[in-house]
Amino acid sequence: MGKQEDPKTVSRRDILKLAGTAAAFCTSFGFLHGSQVGGIVQDKHLQMKWAQAEIKWYKGSELLYSAPFPVKVLKHLQSNETATVEIKLFRAGQLLRNLGTIEAKH
Amino acid sequence: MAGPHEVLGMSRVLGIGTTEFLALYTDNGGTTLRSEADGPCVFLTASGCRVHPRRPLVCRLYPLGRMTDETGVERFGVFPAQPDCEAEAGHEGTVSSFLESQGVAPYLEWSRRYGELYRRMMGLLDRLDIQGKVDAGEGGGAAEAAPAGPGSAGSGQEPDRASHRAPDREPISSWQDIDASLAEYCAAEGSTPPREIDEAIALHLRAIEEWLDGLELQLGEVPNNPEGAREP
Repeated sequence: MGKQEDPKTVSRRDILKLAGTAAAFCTSFGFLHGSQVGGIVQDKHLQMKWAQAEIKWYKGSELLYSAPFPVKVLKHLQSNETATVEIKLFRAGQLLRNLGTIEAKH
Repeated sequence: MAGPHEVLGMSRVLGIGTTEFLALYTDNGGTTLRSEADGPCVFLTASGCRVHPRRPLVCRLYPLGRMTDETGVERFGVFPAQPDCEAEAGHEGTVSSFLESQGVAPYLEWSRRYGELYRRMMGLLDRLDIQGKVDAGEGGGAAEAAPAGPGSAGSGQEPDRASHRAPDREPISSWQDIDASLAEYCAAEGSTPPREIDEAIALHLRAIEEWLDGLELQLGEVPNNPEGAREP
């Protein structure tokens, strides 16, 4: 069995630099490659606006409890200006009342 | 988003080097401009943009967004108006007249040139058999993720950058830092880095081309750019 010719090699350092530079250019220029598909342009203003949204419960003027919006709700409100979310109050599985609608644009 | 040529232009407006600019004003490995905690770009002030004469392409295009497909066909879209934006948006004129008014032509050309290099890099990565053609004897692991110096394939030493920076503030690639790249490239060539922005960008593109030529030679390939090829 004959000895195989040594394959040409590139150092791991150069591979990493090559991949790093390609990744940096991909991000900083918005280049895509092959079958990659660009994502939907996100409205950054909308994302920032809802990033720290909370629901707060009060007893008079005393804050009893606050909670951030669940991620799924947040993502929906951040998705576009026309997104809306209704908040409804339930007890024992029964709807008591609709507390109102949150509109992403507000 | 901020390409290396845009970082160079903005750094010159501020009177600092690209190394300092990347450390102070970029995130995500030197690929995006930093934002204030409440949202706006770090360069937005009450009196306007601090780097307006050399603002990046994405700012020049706004409210337009530009896309090109693999065949080079160009399309434009319109971003929704931002409530806080005080710019007056009209509906008269054409896209081309708007682009001309914003001075985008050189930015589109540089983007095209860097795009060519990007495609060469991706082609090289596609052709590399990572298992078979990586020299495992040179060591490996995370320590080598620190980018090598520009210009010479595999032999460069990274300039001693500010080691206190957070990881996402360190440029992903040393090629993003034009001043440092050209300082090293010109030192090896025995020349002086150009002061003019256009000349510096042109030399930066050439230095990256030569680096890719060197890698292609190492793989036993005919360099894509044989005129500028240097022995690795």
